Amino acid sequence: MPGTFSPLEGERLSGNFHMRPLNGELGFGLILLALCSAVAVLAPVLAPYDPRAFSGQPLERPSRAHPLGTNDVGQDILSELIYGARVSLTVALAAGAGTVLLGLLVGGMAGYAGGWLDQALMRLVDGMLSLPRLPLLILFATFLGSGLPQTIAVISFLFWPTTARVVRAQVQSVRQRGYVRMARQFGASHLYVFLRHILPAIGPLIAYGLVTSAGQAVAMEAGLAFLGLGDPLVKSWGLMMRFALNLPGLFLTDRWLWWLLPPALCVTLLILALALMGIGLEQNLNPRLARR
Amino acid sequence: MMLMVQDLRVTFPLDGKTGLRAVDGVSFDLAPGTSLGIVGETGAGKTTIARALLGLHPPGCIQGSIRLDGRELVGLSEEAWRAIRWRRIALVPQSVGTALDPVYRVGDQIAEPLRYHLGLSPAEAWGRSLELARRVGLEPRHLRAYPHQLSGGEKQRALLAMALSCAPDVLVLDEPTSGQDMLSRARLLDLLDALRREGGMGLLVISHDLAAVARLTERVAVLYAGQLVEVGPTAEVFQDPRHPYTWGLLHAYPDMSTARDLRGIRGAPPDPANPPPGCRFHPRCTQAIDRCRREEPPLREIGGRWIACHLGGLQTLLRAEGLRKTFSVDGGEPEERVEAVREATLDIREGEVVALVGETGSGKTTLGQMLVGLLPPDGGRVVLEGRELTAARGKERRAMMSRIQLIPQDPFDAVSPRLTVAEMVREPLDIQGIGTPEEREAKVRQALRTVGLPASPDFLARRAHELSGGQLQRVVLARALVLEPKLIVADEPVSMLDPSEQARVINLLKEIQTERGLALLLISHDLALVRKIADRILVMHRGQIVEEGPGNRIVTRPEHEHTRMLLEAAPRLG
Amino acid sequence: MGTGHRTLVYLLTFWVILTLNFLLPRLLPGDPLAALLDPSSSDYVYDPDVRAALAAYYGLDRPLPEQYGRYLLGILTSDLGRSIRLNRPVAELVVGRLPWTLLLVGTALLFSSALALLTGTESAWRRGSWADRGLVSASILLANVPVYFVGMMLLLLFGARLRWLPLAGGRTPFARYPSALAAALDIGRHLILPALTLTLAMLGAKFLLVRNATVNILGEDFMLVARAKGLPEGRLKWGHALRNALLPFVAHLAAHAGMAVTGAVFIETLFSYPGMGRLIFESVTARDYPVIQGAFLVVSAVVLTANFLADLISLRLDPRLREGKV
Repeated sequence: MPGTFSPLEGERLSGNFHMRPLNGELGFGLILLALCSAVAVLAPVLAPYDPRAFSGQPLERPSRAHPLGTNDVGQDILSELIYGARVSLTVALAAGAGTVLLGLLVGGMAGYAGGWLDQALMRLVDGMLSLPRLPLLILFATFLGSGLPQTIAVISFLFWPTTARVVRAQVQSVRQRGYVRMARQFGASHLYVFLRHILPAIGPLIAYGLVTSAGQAVAMEAGLAFLGLGDPLVKSWGLMMRFALNLPGLFLTDRWLWWLLPPALCVTLLILALALMGIGLEQNLNPRLARR
Repeated sequence: MMLMVQDLRVTFPLDGKTGLRAVDGVSFDLAPGTSLGIVGETGAGKTTIARALLGLHPPGCIQGSIRLDGRELVGLSEEAWRAIRWRRIALVPQSVGTALDPVYRVGDQIAEPLRYHLGLSPAEAWGRSLELARRVGLEPRHLRAYPHQLSGGEKQRALLAMALSCAPDVLVLDEPTSGQDMLSRARLLDLLDALRREGGMGLLVISHDLAAVARLTERVAVLYAGQLVEVGPTAEVFQDPRHPYTWGLLHAYPDMSTARDLRGIRGAPPDPANPPPGCRFHPRCTQAIDRCRREEPPLREIGGRWIACHLGGLQTLLRAEGLRKTFSVDGGEPEERVEAVREATLDIREGEVVALVGETGSGKTTLGQMLVGLLPPDGGRVVLEGRELTAARGKERRAMMSRIQLIPQDPFDAVSPRLTVAEMVREPLDIQGIGTPEEREAKVRQALRTVGLPASPDFLARRAHELSGGQLQRVVLARALVLEPKLIVADEPVSMLDPSEQARVINLLKEIQTERGLALLLISHDLALVRKIADRILVMHRGQIVEEGPGNRIVTRPEHEHTRMLLEAAPRLG
Repeated sequence: MGTGHRTLVYLLTFWVILTLNFLLPRLLPGDPLAALLDPSSSDYVYDPDVRAALAAYYGLDRPLPEQYGRYLLGILTSDLGRSIRLNRPVAELVVGRLPWTLLLVGTALLFSSALALLTGTESAWRRGSWADRGLVSASILLANVPVYFVGMMLLLLFGARLRWLPLAGGRTPFARYPSALAAALDIGRHLILPALTLTLAMLGAKFLLVRNATVNILGEDFMLVARAKGLPEGRLKWGHALRNALLPFVAHLAAHAGMAVTGAVFIETLFSYPGMGRLIFESVTARDYPVIQGAFLVVSAVVLTANFLADLISLRLDPRLREGKV
């Protein structure tokens, strides 16, 4: 499944980032994200029922008591939906952060150290990139078990190579700039150079990486749950879709409208929000594509 | 087939505002079998013209007329242009590195127009490509190769073969020699020259490489900031440039026969989006008058040359005709008459550096003094900026004399030992009564700064004996500058200084001369020294000017006996 | 790098995958393989024939290196174990399912590539126009919407609402075909929605790639020269621009070969399409380890082969990648 399209792959970035003021894409995406976050945080307040409670009869149609009806065991769909936001956002944040951290670590080391370490790490990255992702993901998920932490770990583990590549390229370019060499001349330690010069230079890159990884993670998690590999104890949107699809003849009635569609829409909107933010950020990094 | 370009204007849109006029009113003709060069510097608009001739600009950008055999090309549809491109007008582009498609073989790209324009079959087209390749000195293996496998010179020849493929009527060469090493360039020029002689095609050579243009073209047009400033026969224009820009351009061009150091044209090329009002060259021109700032000069014919200048081209600043001076030697004996100067005729152009060399007693100092008006001549006249100096009197004369200043040989003799530096430099202003005392002080300080001397109160209070020879000569120069002259006559300005000082003062003179657009007459016996900054050299012997010519020619191919003697006697290290 | 070198790298990668496949279940806590044979675990396999076959295949009582050796040997003799759920050799299952997936993915790749190349080039040619901008926005949207969402919408529209196309399956169940043509038509009808979904899923990213790459190419000097040569518009667009855009396009294909497979898994699940993806899904649900592993291997092999082929095509397309000067 094509997660988010990353036009940065293979592009060479200039060393100078200018944070332009909020452009349309970034702003819109941010708003959507904020909305989703608000729903997640205020879930106990917003949701009419506890999503695990059997608050009604199975497969009820939408009514005042249950605006989206109930699922096959009698749980309120709307509440499931609202609480599902928590799961997706948790995954987005955790897996996104995990991916970026790993990518930063490996890419940063490779770009900064150069030499054999760089070569070795890049061989690793290339190797990992050549492995087919989803099958690997499925394999890991099968054998590692299907808890949410495992899912997050596995997603991070599979997605960091792309970030690592981009980070490495940028770190390399900053590292050989004059002012970095001068700092070393003045006796600065590697840590100082990294924190003072390199980190700020890749700051926007980290933000971009975080946002795009988050988007990919949400898509992957929902996909895994959809396939039945997700944590069965955690009510994510993907799992809701899975249960809905398990119902025979789902499409023959219009039950899909209030059970399958809402979680699908929510996943899509969240991914789109993050993707838009990514595009908005990306225009800061690569003005050439923006103007075209 | 005749190519006639009339008042071509190309405007590029610039972020919504009114556009950037890259080419502003260019007109020229190209007859069959002739060659025309268009020279100018980067950004002047040369490539824009080349592309306009092939209709490669978006349709809205072009105004004016381009006629090929009477047919108007401006405003043609893309379809109509396609029939003309390459078939009638072909282009050899500038950027050799990226001009060929990397995924096709070179031979296929040469054959491509043959297939599409002439409908040849692949076999026929390949055969024709082989012929073309042979013609430009390439072998079949070059045709089978891909562009990245060829060297720059080979690619250039391939592009040439490609351009010739449909036997066009007009061949446009855009910077044919740029980026090439000297040997490739020489071979290419040989090839192009041969092609030109084969005849039939009209050749348009667009380049900033003046030597290439000199070799390949019969006529040349000089482009500055999107407009033509001079058009004429190539050999004549390069030997005797009439427009100030052409003159500056030629003097900035490095070639093996130049002995003089390079010097640029002062100022900077104009911003294409915001050209200066009036004549575009006026901020950098040494002879700009008020009208130049307001009105654009039209390109008009003056004596076989087309020139765009209100003044009609480079002006002669100073002209001396038939000057004579004879001295009687006192001493009781029957009067001995020495003819110091005999029938001297010379002229000095605006912004020129002329050197007058000769041995002691040749009469050069006398001539110099006559030119500045210090010594009345026995015969002949001196005309300064069109007015006769020798005949002028009173106020008029005073005014004219302030336009031409002398720097004599001995600085200590040139100044009063009693005056302070400030007073020395201020003297001409005091005499002429120019400005308030404060303004004069300011001018003094500025003049001192120009010659690289401090303007501190301490320095201003010094007297002649407290300064070194070099410093004093600079003070003398500062003094000469306060009146803002147009011509400085320097009589052996450095012969009494140490060699290290000599170099510095000469360089300073040159610098000021370039920056301020002054003309300089340098009188000296030291040929080795003057060849460094002189545009023209006049050789004087026994009161007569025996030879004159461009600096590099005099030094490399002297004609007169005496010149040769001087050259041989000039100091050489090793 | 040369073809030989490249082949070596691919073989190496495959070997890594093989080994990973082997090691993973054996190294993880909870020992899932042993659980199959342990009566006290919930995964215990009740059928004695299957249990015996599994014990023989996994050989858990042997030392690890020996297990590895037998595993590799099994690969070479196409013995991938036995399905717990269906009690059939894994290899047989895979052979039955693989062609469907190849049909699906192949069709989708073909159509999405053709569409992307055609519209991407035209869009770049008219860059800045309303059509171009609209297409770019639409593609960005399409590239980010999850594939199952697209599939769901299409299923609902064409399958459920309009009932033009079947809701599930590769062909009509229990059908008997009077001719090969009838068989082809039936399969084709069932293929439309899944293939359409996968095509759309891949189209967004492909379109953007082609369009952006072409925009860059159009700014190159040789395009100006080609235009100056008075060549017809078609030749400029397809002969020069597209031909050059193929290079990054094929590179993209190579890098994203895995994406197509990922999409196939979701789509086959959604449409109950009888391919490898569905097999994986069913096996995962049933914790049928041998099948999961076997399917994983086969899919990886296919992806790597696709990658390799794309690399070879790249070499063929871009003369600069080949060594040697004239």
